[in-house]
Amino acid sequence: MSLFRADAGVEVIEEANDHEIVGEEGTPDQADIVGRTPWALAWIRLRHDRVAMISLGFIVFLVLVAIFAPLLTALIGHGPNAQYPNTGLSLSGIPVAPGHNGFLLGTDDQGRDVLSRIIYGTRVSLVVGVGATLVALVIGMVVGLVAGYYGGWSDTILARFMDILLSFPILLFALAIIARFGPSLELVVIVIAMFSWPYIGRLVRGQVISLREREFVEAARALGSSDLRIMFVEILPNLLALAVIYATLLIPVNIVLEATLSFLGLGVQPPTASWGNMIAEAQNGDLFTVAWWFLVFPCLALVLTTLAFNLLGDGLRDALDPRHGRSQMTPKSKATRRADAKGRADAKATAEAKASAAMVEAEA
Amino acid sequence: MIGFIIRRLIYLVIVLVIITLVAYVIFFAGNSDNLAARFAGRDADPQEIRDAAIRLGLNHGFWYQYWHYLDGLLHGSFGLDFQAAIPINTEIARALPVTVSLVLGAAVLWLLIGIPIGIMSATHPRTLRDRTGTIFALTFLSMPTFVLGLLMLLVFYYYLTQAGFAWFPAAGFVPFTTSPAQWADHLILPWFTLALVQAAVYTRLVRGSLLDVLGEDYIRTARAKGLRRRTVIYKHGVRAALTPIVTQLGIDVGVLLAGAFVTERVFGLPGLGQLALNGIENGDLPVVAAVVVLAATFIVVMNTVVDILYAVLDPRVRLS
Repeated sequence: MSLFRADAGVEVIEEANDHEIVGEEGTPDQADIVGRTPWALAWIRLRHDRVAMISLGFIVFLVLVAIFAPLLTALIGHGPNAQYPNTGLSLSGIPVAPGHNGFLLGTDDQGRDVLSRIIYGTRVSLVVGVGATLVALVIGMVVGLVAGYYGGWSDTILARFMDILLSFPILLFALAIIARFGPSLELVVIVIAMFSWPYIGRLVRGQVISLREREFVEAARALGSSDLRIMFVEILPNLLALAVIYATLLIPVNIVLEATLSFLGLGVQPPTASWGNMIAEAQNGDLFTVAWWFLVFPCLALVLTTLAFNLLGDGLRDALDPRHGRSQMTPKSKATRRADAKGRADAKATAEAKASAAMVEAEA
Repeated sequence: MIGFIIRRLIYLVIVLVIITLVAYVIFFAGNSDNLAARFAGRDADPQEIRDAAIRLGLNHGFWYQYWHYLDGLLHGSFGLDFQAAIPINTEIARALPVTVSLVLGAAVLWLLIGIPIGIMSATHPRTLRDRTGTIFALTFLSMPTFVLGLLMLLVFYYYLTQAGFAWFPAAGFVPFTTSPAQWADHLILPWFTLALVQAAVYTRLVRGSLLDVLGEDYIRTARAKGLRRRTVIYKHGVRAALTPIVTQLGIDVGVLLAGAFVTERVFGLPGLGQLALNGIENGDLPVVAAVVVLAATFIVVMNTVVDILYAVLDPRVRLS
């Protein structure tokens, strides 16, 4: 079962006729009619989205950089934490500008290679961003499934619990917890996941509430499937497209959250490089005014990464959920609000949603 | 309506109890001795630590301390801080005007920036203007506040001052009552930092909302009966499209009033966010708990206001 929704089969037949070019009229050639899974169709649509593909390429590049960080820094010849007092700092102790003495992006206040540190910072950002999002995704999906499927008391309690968690001042609590228990990478991941899963949970719950009334669930129940089987084998696959979209949009939010924690001194601790703590070091004593590269390059890495994930998320939404009209989430958090604002803004999707309003109705 | 507000008030009380309890657990569970040692001063002997514990009320059990705190709250007092034994109410009274100045000023700015760009994008969909608006929105959506703030400082404070135009100060706050001009001058960069990031969200929100509205039948009817395009867009379209923006504004202001931590830190503004950050760094629990209570109150109250406002603006929505 890899259907997004019960009626996805119709789409397979319709779009397979289109010679891979989605939405364009082609002469139906019998030989070309292939049954494709919705995922394959989504990939075809995504491939035609140039912005999303460039973003995807950049993200793949980031992943490779993170994996091969030791190799890359060995090639550069500067370790991320190694200090180069002779070549990396001028006689008066000022960081070396980009392109001098073999430091492509210059050095920081301790004579360390900014490029090597940015490369290692990629690891931190991706591990925290992707890791925390995956944890949040698993918790959010399970809680959302249980709350939405069973309804009644368990739903009331879980939904209220998520609401209350969402009225927590997140950053303040994250900082308080980390300050109390001491900063570490694991704690940062846990804390971020702890406060971001309700977004997924609420979304999944809303979907499940409408899905559980659908015929295929009724059919499964009539066949005697257990609740667990209906939840995880019948309903769950219908949530995956949504989960992929929102996970992609949650990753940049979590990357920024980690960078913010590190910037405030309660995330990843020096000397381990993270983009956030590099920026904090650049701010310390207004160092960035003498060495702009020390501030600008980590900022650039952070902004480009966030942008890439946001653009890919937009593209994925169009590709996986072309009938998407408006988001199911009430826009209350920054993360959901961003996702929501972008979703609603998509004119094409809105038009398509209107055209197939009858089909979408069940999802609202 | 009254029933709705009462239910929300009960909800607020429950949320506050849970949130303060969590804050107390985070700081206190098995931590009283550490806190006492911390505030007993350097090289304190055991007796001094015990004295500090008694002075700070840390010698009592967890539930007693928590109850004592709630009792204070009921009497409108946040208690004394650990560090200097100053009433926290005084500190908040000092910090709140800073945060309010920052957030309300920024809110005006982000509406002035976000709404026109959103309208422009929606009325010219898929044109160069729309795409420019989209690029603006995506750029600032992807920019963390501290990145934008520091880049602002680099360009508009440092480079401008270097070039001989010392227009903007780097940090600090001047109360409005002292000098309105100085007040605004110190806040311009923070305002823009906060506003640009938020404006990006509003641009997208207005664009999406207005596009939806402009697709409605009554818009076509208005055009068909001969009304001018501009009249239709602004009188019929924008008015209806602004409902979600009003609600969003309420939520954002509520969240930010609890402390625009990063903006305050970058620009050295002594607001609620700074107060909380200092409290966290010093382990000064009562201060942190006070800001937590304020923050949660702002968030829940603004959510309630927004729900009521929504029902007023859109009669189809019923409060239940």
